This record gives sequence, structure tokens and C-alpha cells, in this order.
Amino acid sequence: MNTRRTFLAVVAGLVAASGAAFLAADSFAQSPTDVKVWIAFTDNRLDWAREKAAEFNEQFPQYNVTVEGYGNYEEIQQATDLAIQQNAAPAVVQWFEVGTQRARDFGYFKSIADALGDRTEVNGIPVDFDDFIEPVVSYYTLDGKFTSMPWNSSSPILYSNTAILEKAGIDTPPATWQEVEAACEKIMALPDAPQGCITWPNHGWFYEQWMAQQDAVLANNGNGREGRATELFLDSEPSIAIASWWQSMEDQGYYVYSGRQRDWAATEQAIQTGTVAMAITSSADAANITNAAKENNIDIVTTRMPYNAETGWTGNLIGGASLWLVKDLPKEVEEGALSFMLWLNNTENAAEWHQVTGYLPIRESSVKLLESQGWFEENPNFYTASDQINNSTVTTATRGALLGPFPQIRDVITQTMEDLMLKGGDPAQAMAQANQQANQLLAEYNSLYN
Amino acid sequence: MFGLIQILVPLLAGLIGAVWVGSRFRRMKRSGLVGAACGGLAGGLGSLIFMAPLDFCTFEPERNWIDAVFGVGLVLVGMAIPLGPLLAWTQQEYHRHLGIRPTPPQHKGIFKQWWLAWLFLLPTLTILVLFLYYPGLDTFRLSTLLTFVGAPRSRFVCVDNFTSLLTDSTYLRSIGITFAISAAIIVFGLTGSLLIATLAYQPIRGATIYRILLIWPYAISPAVAGIIFFIMFNPLGGVANYVLSLVGIPRLNWLGDPNLAPWVVIFASVWKQMGYNILFYIAGLQNLPNDLQEAAAIDGAGAFRRFLSITVPLLSPITFFLVITNMTYAFFDIFGTIDLLTAGGPSGSTSVLIYEIYKIGVSSGNLGKAAAQSIVLFLMVVGLTLIQFRTTERNVTYGG
Repeated sequence: MNTRRTFLAVVAGLVAASGAAFLAADSFAQSPTDVKVWIAFTDNRLDWAREKAAEFNEQFPQYNVTVEGYGNYEEIQQATDLAIQQNAAPAVVQWFEVGTQRARDFGYFKSIADALGDRTEVNGIPVDFDDFIEPVVSYYTLDGKFTSMPWNSSSPILYSNTAILEKAGIDTPPATWQEVEAACEKIMALPDAPQGCITWPNHGWFYEQWMAQQDAVLANNGNGREGRATELFLDSEPSIAIASWWQSMEDQGYYVYSGRQRDWAATEQAIQTGTVAMAITSSADAANITNAAKENNIDIVTTRMPYNAETGWTGNLIGGASLWLVKDLPKEVEEGALSFMLWLNNTENAAEWHQVTGYLPIRESSVKLLESQGWFEENPNFYTASDQINNSTVTTATRGALLGPFPQIRDVITQTMEDLMLKGGDPAQAMAQANQQANQLLAEYNSLYN
Repeated sequence: MFGLIQILVPLLAGLIGAVWVGSRFRRMKRSGLVGAACGGLAGGLGSLIFMAPLDFCTFEPERNWIDAVFGVGLVLVGMAIPLGPLLAWTQQEYHRHLGIRPTPPQHKGIFKQWWLAWLFLLPTLTILVLFLYYPGLDTFRLSTLLTFVGAPRSRFVCVDNFTSLLTDSTYLRSIGITFAISAAIIVFGLTGSLLIATLAYQPIRGATIYRILLIWPYAISPAVAGIIFFIMFNPLGGVANYVLSLVGIPRLNWLGDPNLAPWVVIFASVWKQMGYNILFYIAGLQNLPNDLQEAAAIDGAGAFRRFLSITVPLLSPITFFLVITNMTYAFFDIFGTIDLLTAGGPSGSTSVLIYEIYKIGVSSGNLGKAAAQSIVLFLMVVGLTLIQFRTTERNVTYGG
């Protein structure tokens, strides 16, 4: 059924495209409408997006989509702030999930649902949101409206060095915190033990994942989704459990800390070079890590992110960013932007995006397509994240929190974890203090919007 | 809205100004009444410089005593702005009255038309106003607001951004770190540079090549220096730990240990600035009079004694200059090195004030707090420079 729908969609798309080509040929004197797209990548992901834009421009000659790359999500946020003040905003901006509440408060964007109305296609490109996987849809649905276009969604997974695990007599990579600790004990007791057992970046994202896994919310008012969040729960039991476990892993010499916050590169480096036996990081690095490790003759296997066995596993959040439509655009620019976003996320492109990077295939039809091509059998490391997300239960906690000053609250969490590891201290006390700080940030921010 | 305080403060300030300037005028045998009027006006208006834009918010009943004390301070600083020059002028006039002429008569300008000079100054002034004075003044406005980058809304918070710094443990710690790191950079940087410069100044074969090689690190940008040291002191694959392992010392987590990381920052910053210091010291050494050295040598002073008792004091003007430039460097310019080397970590141990401002203002986008912090940092550097000019200059020998 789904394949047929896809087939029909493709046919409809082709018909519409040729129709559009005729129309474009008809009004050839008219220059194509410029549609600017800003994304937060500068590597091969930017190249991919540019290739796709060129392909799109060829199929829809009435538009000229240009893609510009920025260093990271924070940088693109600042650039957008400035551009909007100066009335030089692009049509589409890739915006990270923790900036969602801020974007809503600042009034930068128009929801995709509003822009679409009740249309089922734009320029012949079908709108079928039912095809998106559920956690993605629920994350980007705000106040019951589909707000932004999902694009690069990822999930943290465990990368293990099979050779080291084998040597320590561990058959399957650990699934829980407790198993990780037991495995580390064995690994570090090896005569030729690696420098460390496990690492992951000290980044708020991992903490948030572990909160979600334990079905614990970060903030009140339904994690900030039913109403503006006014109180944080960083001092809750699940939160302290994370801090305690993390700290004890460091104390026992199992967890390797690079000394820098948000140090994604160090984690990638450590697992690729065999410096550590295991690493937890984004599924978006699956391609890079697996390939780079292979060059060092290291076999990597990926499994789901370990969870706290005492509280069980409810599910994981999606991470990454989505594409947002800037408000108050001229009608034809908005149409072009919508068309490009829908087209970029069609079944084939979503599947290709996954293959190139390791981001989740966000459409069920894309997953099916990949399955039919035997992709997951050949590349089992790419299946883990989809499997993890598709088995997650969608609850208030796993839908993710919406907080105005979310990036700053993340900084409080990473700073607290760093202090706990480098200077020691009582996790409960540290988290209580962090909560106080974070609540103050929240109150300051909220005071502008009450 | 005019409450009691809005009338009382300028009135009191005016009274102080009137009495002070009035008495000065009397001393000059001029009309005390005119003086009192001038002083009263200056004091009264001066007290409003900060208080009028703040609308006397520091004295509102719901604010605590710290805010009130801060407000009094602001009133006093505001009064000093017009009263200071006025009092200085009366002092000068008084001296003239006594027949002392401390200042020579002023030269007449070269330009016949007064506007010609302004015309030539115009391009510079335009740039200064647009890019220096206007943002500078706007910083004061921002420092009274709760506002975020890009946010369409902001809220007036009086002097909260300043007074909250007093209880902000991260900020207070950052002050200590800044002074410690700066002091270390100046002390190690200058002593090291002086020793190397003395060696490089010796008449040896290939001295020019050595000097060029020594000065070369100065041409590197702070960011590149940060990356070089980041790679060298990388705990896992860095060359620093490799060297240690050769002599059997266990690996050190250079950048991950809050006690070690500041030293890596100091080392990198000193290395980076050394070329500049050496350049000045070699130039200084070349200008030293030889006769003193010879005389001391005849008197039987050894090389070390001559260095300490003659070379070092004679170089004091250069040392004084370098202390100030190095201090500015340590306060502001090591930002790039820190950002790439430690990003202020681990555990905030290398987060100097300028980096703290960056974190608050750019990373967190809290413009109000960052503005307040940059004003405090600005005042600190101004204060330090003034203290240095006052104290050090007395001990500096300019020769002659």
C-alpha cells in the first residue's frame, strides 16, 4: 500500500514537474524566484544539500534555491537574529531543537501547517505527514500544529570496539548502566587494557536522553509543552541518578573526560583509534566512525544507548534540527521554500540522507525502501538508531522539553557535571544548586514574556 | 513622577557643589555668590547624569541597601564629572592669582580657519563616534536592561546587572583567575624575555638569525597559538606527555586538570608575547650607555652584579611600558588562545573576565549582564593603569 502510494506520488511528482517545466518554459523571460536556505553544516552535509538544491532547481526551474552553510547551530541562530533585525532573512533556516521555544517567543517563523493550509500537495509534491515516524512528528508538533520540517534527526547510540569486548569475554555490548560498569571492570583489568573504558561528550543532550529514558520530565507544565515551563526538576531523583552514575564512572577511571565541554571530536577520535573500548555519541556519526575505525583495523558495532536498569527504558528523544519557514515571505518565495522542504524530505531523498550521514530515515517509506535494498543488512550499524527511536514510547518526557533559555540551562548542566568529575562533590547537592541556577535563568527569561 | 528623593538628591548635591566652589571663589577673591551658583548648578546637574536615566530607581523602597549604596556611588561619580574640572580650574586660577604660572601660554593653532581643522578631523571622528563612542554609550544603556540577543522584548532592571555580580560566585572567582593569570604572564613573560634578550644581545655568530627566530612567535595569531598548544598538550596524543613518558613520568591530563590548565594557558600566552617583549628589550639594550658598564667593571662588579644594578634599572622605562602592554594583552588579547585551548575550562579554571563576558554575552546571549561586566572590566583596566602610572613612574629612570 505504502509502496503504491509512493509510486503514485512519484508519478504525480513527475507529471507536475513536467507541467511546471512547461509553465517555466512559457514564462522564460521571467527570472526564477530566489529561495535562500541556511543550514548549520560546512562539511559533506553542506555539499549534499547543495547537490540536492541544484537537482531541485533543475526539476523546478521557476525556483533558484541556494544553500548557505554556517559553523554550528549557535552560529546560525545568531546570524538569523541579525538577519531578521536587518530584514535580510533567508526563506528557510535550520534551527536546533533546543531553540524551539526561543524561536516561538521571538516570532521568527511561520508554522508549516499554517503555510500549507489544507493542501495535500505543493507544486505536485505530496504532503503526507502521516508517513513521518511518530517521535519526529510528535517532537515538531506544537499546540497541535505541525510546526517545522524535520530533516536531520539523530539519536545517541553506543559504539563498541568488538575486539576489546571479545578479549574481555563480553559477548554482547552492555545494554544498561549496570552492565556498562561490569564490562568496564573486566576491560580495565585486561593486561593490555585501553586508556579508558568508555567516553561520551559532556553535553546536555546525553543528560536529557537519560532523563527521557527514565520517563522523567525536565520541567513542569508538561515539559513546557502544555504551557510555559516555570520550574525545572534538575534536583529530581532520576536527575541525581544520572549525575551519580556519571561521576562514579569517572571516579573509577572508566569514563574518560577530555576536559572540554561539548567535545564531540574527542569522543569520535577516542573510539576510532581504540583509545577507549566504548563510546556513546550521535547516530549521525555512524558513517564517519565506522569508516575511520575500519582504516585503523578496528571493528565497531553499534547498539542502543545504555539505560538505567533500575528505572527501565521508556524511550529516547530525537535530537538534531529541523527546517523552519521564515514568516512574512512573499507568496512565491514561501511556495518555493515549502516545495524545496517537502521535496528534500521525500522518500528517496530522506533515505539517501540517512545513507550519507547516519541521521534517522524520518519516513516510514524511506525505512521500507532501505530495507528492500538490503541496506540495513549490509550496514547493521545504521539500523540501531531507527530501531531505538521506533521502539520508543511517546510520553511527555520522551517528546522533549521546551524551554526558552534551553541552551543556557544545558550549559549549567554540563558545568555541574564537569565540576562533579574534576573537583568531586555530592551529586544531590550539586544538582540542587544547578536547579537553583537554572530556575533563575528560566525566571529571568520568562519575566520578558509574562 | 517627582518624589521626595528626586528633589532631595540634586538639592543636596547642588548644596555641596555650591559650598565647595563658593569657598574656592572666595579664596580667589572673587564673588562667592557667582561661585556658589556655578558649583550648585554643576553639582545638581552632575548628580542627575546617571540618576535621571535610571529614574532614581536605586532608591526605590523595594530595593535593598546594596542598590542604595551603589546609587550613592553613582551620584558621587556623576557629581565629579562637572565638579572635577571646575575645581581644577579654580585651583589653577588660584595659583595664577598667587603669581604662580604652572602652564606655559598656549600656542595658537596653525589653521587660519577654525573649521578647517574640524574638516580634517571629520573622517576620524565619524569612525570614532560610529564604532567606539556610540557602542560605548549604548553599553551603559544595555547594562540596565534584561535583554537577550535578538529578543524583541527587554525589561528595565535598574542596577541589578551590576549588584548581582557581587554575589555571583563564578564572576568573583573569575576576577581572581584573571589577576592570577595576568600577574603570572607579566612576571614570567618579562623576566623570561629579559634573560633571553640579554643572551641574544651577546655578540655571537649568527645573532641576527637567532633574534629573528626569537621574535617570530609574535607574528602568530593568538588563535593559532591556542591550536598549537592544544595539540602539544593533548592528554591522549600530545607531544608534552610523550616527552614526559621518555623520562618515565606518568601522563598528565594537562587540559583536563583545573590545577594544570591555567599553567598551560600562561605558558602559551607568555610564549606568544615573548617575541614582542624581546624586541623591545634588545632595542633597549642597544641604547644603553656603555660607560656605566665599563666603570662598574673597573670597580670590580661581576657580570651578574652589573646586570642587576645597572642594566635592569636602566631598562626600567621599557619594563614600565611592557608591563602596561602586557597587562592589556593579558586582560584582553589572550581570549583567542583560551577559546581554542581550554574554552574557559576545565571547571572554569581558565575563564578570565574577558572570556566570561564572551560566554554570557555571545554564548548565552544575555546582553545586559555582559554589558555590565564589560563596564566593570573597563573600569578595572583604567584603574590599574592609573595606579601604575602613579606608583611605577616614580621608580622609573628615564636617564639623563
